[in-house]
Amino acid sequence: MQGVLGVFRELDAACDAIRTLRQERVNKIHAYTPAPRHELEDAFGHPKSPVRRFTLIGGFLGATFGYWIAIWCSSYWPLVVGGKAIKSWVPYTIYGFELMVLIGGLSTVFGMFALARIPRLVTTVGYDPRFSQGEFGVFAEAPQEKLRDIEETMRRAGAVEVSGVR
Amino acid sequence: MAARAYPDKDLPMRPNIASAEIQLPAVRDYEQVDREISGTLRPTLGWFVLLAIAVLFFLWGAATWTYQIYWGLGNAGYQPPVMWGVYIICFVFWVGIGHAGTLISAILYLFRAGFRTTIYRCAEAMTVFAVMTAGLFPIIHLGRPWKFFWLIPYPNWRLLWPQFKSPLVWDVFAILTYLTISATFLYIGLIPDIATLRDRERNPYRKQILAVLSFGWRNSDEEWRHFTRAYLFLAAFSTPLVLSVHSVVSFDFAMALTPGWHATIFPPYFVAGAIFSGIGMVFTIIIPIRKFFGLRHYVTLNHLDAASKLCLFTSMIVGCAYVMEFFVAWYSGNAVEQNYFWNRVFGQWWWAAWIMLICNMILPLSLFSQRLRRNTIWLFFLSLTINLGMWFERFVIVVPSLSHEYEPWQWTSYTPSWVDISILVGSFGWFFMWFLLFIKQLPVIPISEIKEIVPPKMRRTHGTPAPGGAH
Repeated sequence: MQGVLGVFRELDAACDAIRTLRQERVNKIHAYTPAPRHELEDAFGHPKSPVRRFTLIGGFLGATFGYWIAIWCSSYWPLVVGGKAIKSWVPYTIYGFELMVLIGGLSTVFGMFALARIPRLVTTVGYDPRFSQGEFGVFAEAPQEKLRDIEETMRRAGAVEVSGVR
Repeated sequence: MAARAYPDKDLPMRPNIASAEIQLPAVRDYEQVDREISGTLRPTLGWFVLLAIAVLFFLWGAATWTYQIYWGLGNAGYQPPVMWGVYIICFVFWVGIGHAGTLISAILYLFRAGFRTTIYRCAEAMTVFAVMTAGLFPIIHLGRPWKFFWLIPYPNWRLLWPQFKSPLVWDVFAILTYLTISATFLYIGLIPDIATLRDRERNPYRKQILAVLSFGWRNSDEEWRHFTRAYLFLAAFSTPLVLSVHSVVSFDFAMALTPGWHATIFPPYFVAGAIFSGIGMVFTIIIPIRKFFGLRHYVTLNHLDAASKLCLFTSMIVGCAYVMEFFVAWYSGNAVEQNYFWNRVFGQWWWAAWIMLICNMILPLSLFSQRLRRNTIWLFFLSLTINLGMWFERFVIVVPSLSHEYEPWQWTSYTPSWVDISILVGSFGWFFMWFLLFIKQLPVIPISEIKEIVPPKMRRTHGTPAPGGAH
């Protein structure tokens, strides 16, 4: 993976660089920011994260399993308690609800990990420890012939440091 | 030049959750946030002393439990028919303590209450350790604690399954779910902060450990995009969970045909009480932390003022529930129920009931005064009385009902033994041991969310976001 890494002190400068690079049809751009900023989201124009699909599927499976385990166990060992029906859906809603939350919550985390590609076991190309502290980074992947133009774009946008990464 | 009423039009105005309605005027830039918050992680002599005391209490409780396991449950102060005592009181008390953490971290997150930002990490950690503590008590209460796993439905050679209509099995599912989701919510929020600590760390071994704990987080836009969405959904799941867990705990009582317990008011009454007691514990923890960690410009008086209003509100709900209990008993026309509630406040257990009423209903009314809401000494004292009052609330629910049931020959008394008291003290040692270890290993103030409030550097000066962090 080769590209250009720009380090920015100002947020709006980083956003300008991203917008200009997108206009120049550089498609593989990554930004690094110490905190989530809406300005960067707007500059990228990404759609909403699909992590909610994991939540929905996990929650549905969890609720189904919660009801199923209570009904199956009660049917397997049909002990009448207090004259209540063997398959009493009202108390079993507690299991359906709790397992919906449990499996749905854990699926959400799994979805986030899968989509964000973490855990990462190796150092990422383009990352710099400064990006967790106060500075913003923009890394643009591009073929050899476009690297010089990208460097120039980043400098014009206000990058304090620009370097080629491969 | 006159101040602008609104930022320039070219600024997208979408106040995010961390920054809504809150200002930290003494926090100026990201470097200051990193330096000051990571600076709280250096161990001090006072911290070692407190940790040693907590460990001592914990060891005393653990030794007493070992003694009880060896010599039997008869060493606890049970006196038939009062077969629920300090352990069940502590179970309900500690589960309740945990609830404020989820309220502050999840429910206030969804409501975009900005004052949660600097206190939620403490409250979340408190939740996890309080639920860990609570989970021990039903096991301690068992005569044969090594058989506790029989409550979990697992395939076994005898083909036996738990009774799914029993509130005790409901508890197992509710508490385990609550512990898992609370711990997950806490850890997910910590990942970006651990990455910040990793990048500042110079010791190669600690750096390696932090690198593993942060899962290689690198603050990329893609990571943040999925992280913020996942965090939102976890908060959305935690919100009904916090309401359900103490409702399920209240069913332990409400499902029984015991005077004072068999009431439909119990679930909301328990949930409000849990949140109220948890806010009391948040004050007990956060007020010393802001003083001794030098974080008064992060946890400002405005934060405490806003949290005090929440405390006052929940106190009034709890007070309303107390009054309604008496009304329901009177209106029911049931002589046993009426006799029980008379006995509660003017009979055998009058002193416990009045501790509860004074600490939970009357003293918190002082928070109508703004001066007292902003007086940290008063808030700290009040938080201790709330903790005391809420422990006695559970005492008043458990003991007077069992000691004053339907038939006069059943009426008896209850006195906790030294074993009960030691395990109670040990539970505080266990809770504070974990909490003290936490606050010196991981940041008690969320670094990345504070950075959302602090305006970032901008090249165009007119584009500097307005105080309050609109961006």
